[in-house]
Amino acid sequence: MTELAERKSPTAVLHEGPRALSDQDVAMIEGVDLAGVRDLDIDDVIELVHKDLKRLPDFATLYRKYLKQRWDVYDLDFSQDKIDWHEKMTQDERDSFTAISSGFHHGERQVEIELPIFMIGANEEEKLHIAAQIEDEARHTVFFDRFYREVVGLQGNDIMDVLDATFPYVAETFISPFGLLAYQAEELRRDPYDERARVRYGTTYFLWIEGVLALSVMKVTLSYARWKGFLPAYYTGFTATCRDESRHVQGGMKYLQDAVRKDPSMIHEIHNTLRTILYASGVRSREIYFEPLGWTEEEVNLLFQQQLRRKCNDVGISLSQDLEDLLDQARAQLAGG
Amino acid sequence: MAEFFSKQWAEDVREALQAGPSEEVRGNALPEYWAFFDLIRSIYEGSWALGVRDLPKEMGGAPAYLYVQWSGGNVTDCRIIGPDDPLEATYVLGGSFADWKKLVEGYDAKRTVMYRKILIEEGDILEFFKTIYFFVECLDQIGRVDATFPVAVPA
Repeated sequence: MTELAERKSPTAVLHEGPRALSDQDVAMIEGVDLAGVRDLDIDDVIELVHKDLKRLPDFATLYRKYLKQRWDVYDLDFSQDKIDWHEKMTQDERDSFTAISSGFHHGERQVEIELPIFMIGANEEEKLHIAAQIEDEARHTVFFDRFYREVVGLQGNDIMDVLDATFPYVAETFISPFGLLAYQAEELRRDPYDERARVRYGTTYFLWIEGVLALSVMKVTLSYARWKGFLPAYYTGFTATCRDESRHVQGGMKYLQDAVRKDPSMIHEIHNTLRTILYASGVRSREIYFEPLGWTEEEVNLLFQQQLRRKCNDVGISLSQDLEDLLDQARAQLAGG
Repeated sequence: MAEFFSKQWAEDVREALQAGPSEEVRGNALPEYWAFFDLIRSIYEGSWALGVRDLPKEMGGAPAYLYVQWSGGNVTDCRIIGPDDPLEATYVLGGSFADWKKLVEGYDAKRTVMYRKILIEEGDILEFFKTIYFFVECLDQIGRVDATFPVAVPA
């Protein structure tokens, strides 16, 4: 493992490429408890997703991993994070951080509530994995609720009060992937066994929201926290979240890969969904200042493009030329799930 | 101030949509976002039927729809379609009377979509979401048109 003390720059992995993980590294990342998660390098955890995409685990294996990796969100102690936030971070850093984390605050809630419908049409092993994922997403929602209350200092009587308080920081373009997901979930509610609708939903949820948006944008705040040595509970909880997401993305990619192998025409559902998402991703509604966190917008755009291309390549989903062109124009969007 | 889902309210909505978002509203997002909105508006050829599933009988009965048609950058039709009128639109959406009232009282249009307070009932979802920013900003404008509610929302 890379030592925390090395504190490489946030964007180092973009220029140097990810570190090749040995089987011993993988066992370490997958097996470490919550206290040990703080010492993991976020780049290694993200790389774990891609390593296993080439040999996708079955759903029962993913469920067993969940049972071992489940963590208690109430074990985190945010007291040092509160000091870092108010006394060490600059206003620019706090503003950039809030813009990004608010997308996750709402994104985690959205992926929690839209997933149960997808479970109805799944096979029995996949249902175990999805049930675990719903619990993960609920825990991630509580993680951000605690972060905003205990670190940032927002008040509220319930979870929705805090969501209301952070929504003004969420960009207008957030509606594109998350509104789409809500409407696709509603489409599934009417017919949970419609395989084409399930593939379209899976493309939005697992490939785009979790595989591209979440894994790209979570890296920005985590690499900043690691680089500066700030926000230890945030780093620990959100890196554990990233490890959870690696199971979700693997499960989602397995679902899409199986669907295309069973019926090759399903690739059109994936392409059509990506076409809609990428078409709306070519525009920004807010100026995003990544620089205080050690990034530029161009670097985040590059991260998006890398994440989508790697996942599609690893699971054998080719992109048509028009999608490649749309991807080149996609702009950094602050959303996650 | 016109009654919600009345003929006059539909006319007020038409005027608001035709005028487009105010400078104040446009100031909340980047010019490139509004340039995209304006581009979509200029080429949008389609119609929305925005329904109230449980509009009280005293206000016309359910289901009732606000029908909005766009062509050449203009609102070419904007009227109320009652329960007994034929319904044909590119996209048919519906929400509850309570959620419509909240929208008019200031609830966020994006969350109205995201939280499923208005849902698509007919139409191609993927095509609809290619122009989602145009739709949701228009929904925001509709919500900004003042209206009276002579009947209370059922508890």
